[in-house]
Amino acid sequence: MSTPEKNTPPPKTIPLKTIPVEQGVGTHLAHDMTQIIPGEFKGPAFKKGHKITSSDVCHLMRMGKNNLYVLDLKDGQIHEDDAVMALASALAGPGVTFSGSPSEGKLELKAAYPGLFKVDVDALTRFNLCQDVMCASIHNNVSVKLNQPLAATRAIPLVISEEDLNQAVSIAKSYYPIFKVKLFNPLKVRLIITGDEVYKGLVQDRFKDIVQEKITRLGASLEESVILPDNREMITLKINEYLNKETDLIITTGGMSVDPDDVTKAAIEDSGFEQVHYSAAVLPGAMFLLGYHKDITIMGLPACGLFHKTTIFDLILPRVMAGEKPDKTDLAKLSHGGLCLNCKPCRFPACPFGKS
Amino acid sequence: MKDFETLLAQSAQAHGHLCPGQVIGVKMAMEGCRLIGLDEPSTLPQIKKLIVYVEMDRCATDAISHVTGVKLGRRSLKFIDNGIMAATFVNLETGKAFRIVSKESSREDAMQFAPQISDKRLRQLEAYKRMTTDDLFSIQEVIVDVPACDMPGPTRFKAVCEQCGQVVRDKKEVYKNNQTLCKPCAFGSYYQPVKH
Repeated sequence: MSTPEKNTPPPKTIPLKTIPVEQGVGTHLAHDMTQIIPGEFKGPAFKKGHKITSSDVCHLMRMGKNNLYVLDLKDGQIHEDDAVMALASALAGPGVTFSGSPSEGKLELKAAYPGLFKVDVDALTRFNLCQDVMCASIHNNVSVKLNQPLAATRAIPLVISEEDLNQAVSIAKSYYPIFKVKLFNPLKVRLIITGDEVYKGLVQDRFKDIVQEKITRLGASLEESVILPDNREMITLKINEYLNKETDLIITTGGMSVDPDDVTKAAIEDSGFEQVHYSAAVLPGAMFLLGYHKDITIMGLPACGLFHKTTIFDLILPRVMAGEKPDKTDLAKLSHGGLCLNCKPCRFPACPFGKS
Repeated sequence: MKDFETLLAQSAQAHGHLCPGQVIGVKMAMEGCRLIGLDEPSTLPQIKKLIVYVEMDRCATDAISHVTGVKLGRRSLKFIDNGIMAATFVNLETGKAFRIVSKESSREDAMQFAPQISDKRLRQLEAYKRMTTDDLFSIQEVIVDVPACDMPGPTRFKAVCEQCGQVVRDKKEVYKNNQTLCKPCAFGSYYQPVKH
């Protein structure tokens, strides 16, 4: 009885010749040779293509290498360094750059400028379903700095078939760009701090410093700020005044809860915004408000922003700075990963908060 | 590589005049190439191994370009607009790189090396010839990770500005407000169109 053929790829032969290290003088290394000195160094001790000298033989033996690979590529076979250049080129969209010199067959994709990192997660998954390639990235919608690592890619084997490489490149190109960095706009921000207690001077305001630090870090500027009592009409009037000035983002603080004195939400609703989304599946930040009037955004920050270092404000601000208009669905999507663990000290953004 | 006097004479001719900046540039280039192990940088095969980052667009830049053969159009000469009399020499094959900075103190030190010359410019020119690389330069070994999009060779990356339709090469486009844009469209340009 014949066995049904399995749909598995044929075994790949690596076109390498193995030679004893002591016979390696004068030959060229087929791949980078990694050396690890615990706690001190991990990296290529010898780069691909390095011509072995007699003094290298002892060094290689000390690294535990008794044999060397000498590469012998056939038609249709691509070395990992050439493959990874093709992979990175297909994956990296605007604002994503990478080195011209792969290290150990790997390339790191980095931010070419500060901004909001965007990943087409479904496309990245499809790419990683391709044979013999991989790419791992940081999370979607994270604010990134210049030269910050965003992702890394490589061909898995030392030598990849041209067919497998072309398939992976083709997938990445068909979804181009899988990775991109959106520039932050230098938004003009106006701030309304609400609360009878701060208006009367019973409590010292701390919101202004917090908001100013967070917005300027991303390149926005605080044009103006005011402290108002919990007075619906006064807050509405001030919002309308700010709407008529050159303003990109209005931020209100406080008054977003359900207490009878909390009128900021109602004042925003009175101010003529076409879209107002109240509440978000994020803690801290459940009583957050996000609204839009033409190109102007308004954010209502609940008082939790005073007590928690990181809140929903830190998740939404970078997206608004990058020209996005998150809607009700976007706010709901924050639910998965929307629970802050209140770590001491706070490690945000290097934590699960806001990642989904 | 030719000797210093020959290189200086040729460089001055190519640049248009002999000046202290030419002396600095020629010496900087010779030392930079020596440090990264290139003795014939302007000819094959070494011409493909060298990238030089210059941090000023002054006389010395032309001298460095002349001695090393690096050119903007070959992508082997990179201009970093820092206004600093400095250049970094990178051997692409070995990864060795050195940044050489002209010491400001050498301007004053010129008096010790050529006190007989009263004209300041001529004194500097002659003194710089006599001074050693230690007298003239601060040198630091560095790592330069040259991005793929800055490498010499054929154009690998092209994008189209969604606002003006201009083709943007070498990953110099940006993504702003949900559009791929050229830098003039994203940030404004150095020119203003003439209105007729």
